[in-house]
Amino acid sequence: MWSKRKEDEFPPRPERPAVTPGGTSGAEPPRREISTMSTPSRTFEPEGAAVRSGSAALGKNVTVKGQIIAREDLTIDGEVEGTVECHEHRLTIGPNARVQSNLKAREIVIHGSIQGNVEAADKIDLKKEAKLVGDIKTSRVVIEDGAYFKGSIDISKAAPIKPPQAPPAPPVSQPAAPATAVASGAASTLK
Amino acid sequence: MKFSAATRETESKSLEKKALAPIVRYSNGFDQFSSVLQKSNGLSILDMSGASQANVSFITGLGHRISTDDILGTMEQCFGADFLENEKTASKAQRFLDQTLTFAEESFDGALVWDTFQFLASPLLDQAIAQLLRVMRPSGLMLFFFGADEKATRMPTYNYRIQDHRTLLLSPRGTYQNVHFFHNRLLERLFHGASSVKFFLTRDNLRELIVRR
Repeated sequence: MWSKRKEDEFPPRPERPAVTPGGTSGAEPPRREISTMSTPSRTFEPEGAAVRSGSAALGKNVTVKGQIIAREDLTIDGEVEGTVECHEHRLTIGPNARVQSNLKAREIVIHGSIQGNVEAADKIDLKKEAKLVGDIKTSRVVIEDGAYFKGSIDISKAAPIKPPQAPPAPPVSQPAAPATAVASGAASTLK
Repeated sequence: MKFSAATRETESKSLEKKALAPIVRYSNGFDQFSSVLQKSNGLSILDMSGASQANVSFITGLGHRISTDDILGTMEQCFGADFLENEKTASKAQRFLDQTLTFAEESFDGALVWDTFQFLASPLLDQAIAQLLRVMRPSGLMLFFFGADEKATRMPTYNYRIQDHRTLLLSPRGTYQNVHFFHNRLLERLFHGASSVKFFLTRDNLRELIVRR
């Protein structure tokens, strides 16, 4: 759905209320907007995209030239030229996408075509129909058979997150001897 | 090499059938190559059979950087199914060279060439080797496989997937017309500019060699 006044400058979005499973109070779902740094007066709303709670999408008939910064999960299925940043979130490049950009996100899933460098803090996933020409920098990469990739891969292992340690087991102690079994007067102490 | 049409067809069908099954192969050449990887850290390695999870995991698991370039894929794009005929077209050969090994000079410490140069004919073969040497660092190692069956008119080619330090899984990729037989003398001539060429004995129809730039 296109916004009504997409040429006008919009004020900063207020915080959205949390969405409970199964829907909210029946109010109209909030619009998802993606602001571009290079054209601050313009906001985009994906045409025909599935607007899901907590994610945004650029449909296959959408072309963007400029810088995209998203603060939620983002799916791109159109044409993008510029840069795309989706810090702390997941970026999905759809099967119809043709992207000539450097990409940065927490996690990137690629179904379409990318020319540019791709950086993800967690993982980059190249599906079998993916085509990527550029360099990859990430902690983990998954490449399906059939994916085309030309470039270099830098695996930067993030500081290992230690699994929460179970509290130390209490020391095994002998069960307190019943009073009747105590032979001498010396008391035993349980540690 | 002239063979009767019937012999050619039989051989072709037999090769096609053999070519369909994946093959587990122990490689002395790759064993030596990976021993260098295991002793060093932070090397930059080029895999010329395209991207694969197995190879990426193996190389990066040893702490190295991997780059990939699908040479056979580029050949298929530029020359179609008939490599031998279309390589002779200057514009197509130049298009192949323009898309192949387009990395900066002295980018790599090692290259897994596999059998990708098997189907190149001179002068394109010499130009591709020169391009490969350009992107290799001094003393960089290159692992090559060449068919060792002198009588074969068509050669199968594979995607080479690393299983461990000396085991490869060869997934069939197709068969192509054999360009010429790479005997030892031809290989020594091709790599006359290298500091060393080491041949490995194999039991099957594949000749392995490690070339040091």
